[in-house]
Amino acid sequence: MSRYAPIFWLVIFLTVPLWLKDQYFLHVLIITGIFIIAAMSLNLLLGFTGQLSLGHIAFFGIGAYASSLTSVGFDVELFGVVRVVHKPWPAVAGLIIGTALAGFCGFLIGKLSFKVRGAYFIIVTLSFAEVTRLVALNWVELTQGPMAINNVPPFTVGLPGLGYVALWNKAYYYYLVLFIAILAYILIARLVGSRIGRAMVALKENESLAVSIGIDVTRYLILGAVVSAALAGAAGSLYAHYVKIIDPDVFHFMYTVTMIIMVITGGKGTLAGPIVGGLIFGFLPVAVRSFASPEVQWMIYGVFMIIIVFVLPQGIVPAVTQWIESFRSRPPNDTGPALASLATSRKED
Amino acid sequence: MAEFLQHLVNALVLGGTYALLGIGLTLIFGIMRIVNFTHGELFAFGAYFVYLFAMLLGFNFFIAFAIAVVGGCLLGAAIEFILLRPLRGADIETTMLVTIGAWIIMQNTELLVWGGVAKAITTPFPETPLVIGAISVSPLRVFVLVIALVLIGGTYALIHRTKLGMGMRATFQDSETAELMGLNIRGIYTATFSIGSGLAAAAGALLGPVFLAAPTMGDLASLKAFAIVILGGLGNITGATIGGFLLAIIEELGAGYISSGYRDAMGFLIIIAVLLVKPTGLFARAERIG
Amino acid sequence: MNRFHSMIGQTAAAAVVAFGLVGGAAAQSTIKIGMVQPLTGAFAAAGTDVVNGAKIAVDEINAKGGVIGEKLELVIEDTKSNPTEAASVTEKLVVRDKVTVLMGASSSTATLAVMPKLMEYKVPMLVETSSSSKITTAGNPYIFRIAPPSEVEAAVFAKIVNKIGIKKADFLVVNNDWGRGTADEFTKVLKEKGISVGLVERMDQGAQDMNAQLTKLKGSGADTLFVTTAVEQLSLVLKQAAALGFNVRIITTGGSQNPDQLITNVGKAADGSWHLAFFAPWAPDATPSPAATKAFVAEWNKRGLPYGSLTSSFRGYDGIRAIAEAIKIAGKAEPEAIREAFWKVNILGLNGPIKFEKDGPKGQESGQSMPNVYLVKIENGKVVVPKI
Repeated sequence: MSRYAPIFWLVIFLTVPLWLKDQYFLHVLIITGIFIIAAMSLNLLLGFTGQLSLGHIAFFGIGAYASSLTSVGFDVELFGVVRVVHKPWPAVAGLIIGTALAGFCGFLIGKLSFKVRGAYFIIVTLSFAEVTRLVALNWVELTQGPMAINNVPPFTVGLPGLGYVALWNKAYYYYLVLFIAILAYILIARLVGSRIGRAMVALKENESLAVSIGIDVTRYLILGAVVSAALAGAAGSLYAHYVKIIDPDVFHFMYTVTMIIMVITGGKGTLAGPIVGGLIFGFLPVAVRSFASPEVQWMIYGVFMIIIVFVLPQGIVPAVTQWIESFRSRPPNDTGPALASLATSRKED
Repeated sequence: MAEFLQHLVNALVLGGTYALLGIGLTLIFGIMRIVNFTHGELFAFGAYFVYLFAMLLGFNFFIAFAIAVVGGCLLGAAIEFILLRPLRGADIETTMLVTIGAWIIMQNTELLVWGGVAKAITTPFPETPLVIGAISVSPLRVFVLVIALVLIGGTYALIHRTKLGMGMRATFQDSETAELMGLNIRGIYTATFSIGSGLAAAAGALLGPVFLAAPTMGDLASLKAFAIVILGGLGNITGATIGGFLLAIIEELGAGYISSGYRDAMGFLIIIAVLLVKPTGLFARAERIG
Repeated sequence: MNRFHSMIGQTAAAAVVAFGLVGGAAAQSTIKIGMVQPLTGAFAAAGTDVVNGAKIAVDEINAKGGVIGEKLELVIEDTKSNPTEAASVTEKLVVRDKVTVLMGASSSTATLAVMPKLMEYKVPMLVETSSSSKITTAGNPYIFRIAPPSEVEAAVFAKIVNKIGIKKADFLVVNNDWGRGTADEFTKVLKEKGISVGLVERMDQGAQDMNAQLTKLKGSGADTLFVTTAVEQLSLVLKQAAALGFNVRIITTGGSQNPDQLITNVGKAADGSWHLAFFAPWAPDATPSPAATKAFVAEWNKRGLPYGSLTSSFRGYDGIRAIAEAIKIAGKAEPEAIREAFWKVNILGLNGPIKFEKDGPKGQESGQSMPNVYLVKIENGKVVVPKI
């Protein structure tokens, strides 16, 4: 029974649009799903290589802008010499280019910023995100600056017999997000489970030791940065084509903070952590909205964040896993089958 | 030429407050090794405290300023005592997350109390500018620069001439040895955070009347303070002072002659450039304090 | 800071209902009007004023028994002065709250961002503040605007420009559709009149330090500076220009910048500045309907709201009255019927008649009402209507 737990969750997620009739609730799930993808990508860097990037939103934003511009088209003059004109392409091309460009930026930034560690790494990544925001704000010819890129087209899918269908429908969009999220999950799981992943964890645990046994630290860090940035870029592209408008505030620092809260709360360095954290912070507002104004909601998040650091520094997933382990070590009749299946499903880390 | 000189004068006034922000953060960063995101909120707190006391409660502007600085010191001490002291010895990410949490709480408290509309603060200084040749500067701005310089000087004296300052320098060098030598490290940490926070509040209290008090004013202040600290080198007060003035000059000239849109980008580009070329800061012979 | 809500937080109400945490149906007897307004961020002042003005109109109408037998109810959402957020809360208002008509979204950029949502969900929106020409020419038949577009403001100004005596003008505008649109339209008018245009400087909407731009502008040698931005930033510009000893004739545009508020904020630094306003509470007898103006100002003062906010709050008042009239004509609170009915609205607002003319591509026209524009001046701390 317990080995079917992941399938159980998959079935739940797959059937959501069938039993959930409230379109607005579906909208919450889509946005939450997009942010879970971003949080998973941040977790690869923060949880598995131990590098805290405060500029992760930059890759999300680069993906969003690259994807929007690919599908909307642009006409810019570079340095007053070269004129680049781009005709609109389908949104799917935007997703691919957005993902690739974000990954490439991840490579460049990785190359540059892994020269420094700790506090300096944190600040250099933060600065990078702010610079990208200011470029998006000021390079008006390309990005429309504060006027925002409007009318970003939705994704289209070719269906047999129906031709190309635009994903205006929320249920279809939900499946697209779910599909990308599952792909991202599998990619991260395989990467972490491989030799590369063990090398990453080794250098997180003890960098100098990892160097001494011949692990090429920078190479693995950069590989992590590229995959992480590309996934964030894919999430950004999904976001842009869903909300259909993109402005420079997409680079806002608070989005990075949101992702960090999701990862830390769920449990950094665990595969399920960002999903659990993402769902909590996607639905925590549900619980507080009815009695709290936006300011108070934010204050609750702030308090939540501090409490997590003090009480559950490892995050929820590892804590729950440990708690269940302690039950499992007792005689078997103490543990119901349901709990056992939960234990296995949470043991993905 | 007149235009260039006017840009420099503008930068000088701003530079004084930038230096205060930078010195405050470099003390906290250097001595306690904390990436402190509450710094900008202390800056906003200073501005709102002046607004509260001078505009709403009718106190004299100068008294309101003094209250704001003292209030900043007390608030800083409280943050250190409640949130950071229990986490001593934790890694840099952990303390940073706590300061981010505190920052979110503080900023939204401001939003809740004062609302989203920015507040104007009036001062007893005349509006008529002082004119020297082609250059104009308002009396308020002269006051801002003078007070900033006085506070910078005061901080120097504190670090170099007092027992507390000696303890802070020793802690910066080697906190474990300092503790073995019988120094009260916990007290020194609280004092450091309190002084650093007070300087940020002072900078906010000075700039609030020049601009407006707004709930989000702290965001950029924090980031700029980081830039100044990186520019000047960790724990380096002279570096932070020069860094503060330098950042203001680069921003002002960049805005005047390149593009005003990229004004705030200058600081971040500096951070990236300095960290890639000389990670210890431009003015650091070695990491040191004083 | 509060951006998190745009993504996740603001969806909560929906989810609450979905989870069944809140039972019972909402009151059936009200007609919901969605307000998409900036209540925090750079344009917070303008948005708050509009909401306050709208509330007065709603209370007035409800006191008289409402419209078609039902009371009006405002559902107010904050755009946080951000276009993406504006689009997001519009979706929330339409899908979750089921509003049948909207009013918003203050800044032109935010309105442009909301417009595709109107097409998607087929809900009409009354535009009370945004002035970019792009809004009514985009071919969006759900847009009905009572604010004058930049080119109308510029055209009105063209009639009096020779009497002011401008030789060379510069611009300092907020970096968005509104600021850029104003600079473009006024430049056209000025050039037609043979006046040379020098620098066009821009400032970010949240920027507080404009010294660098002003220092540059001071060196340009123009006699007039057109400034377009929200009132907080305008106060800073006036204050900083005075501190730099920059004695240029400043003319502000946009109509929301109440001169009284500027006098309160910056004192003597506001002296000698000119302002294009769309409502004249200082001279009720000069307005199209003096009695209505006096009643509105009296109610405003009774509520203890700041006098300086009147020049932007009237937009909310006029907007709600136009919406109520449209609902009355439609006879039912349904989006498509209200959209049709907007074309038949013909009432006298605080700022002249509200009657929508067709604008934009054929078959897809938006509605545009042509209001009044006044030019006033601040002299010795007082607002005067100069004789020109």
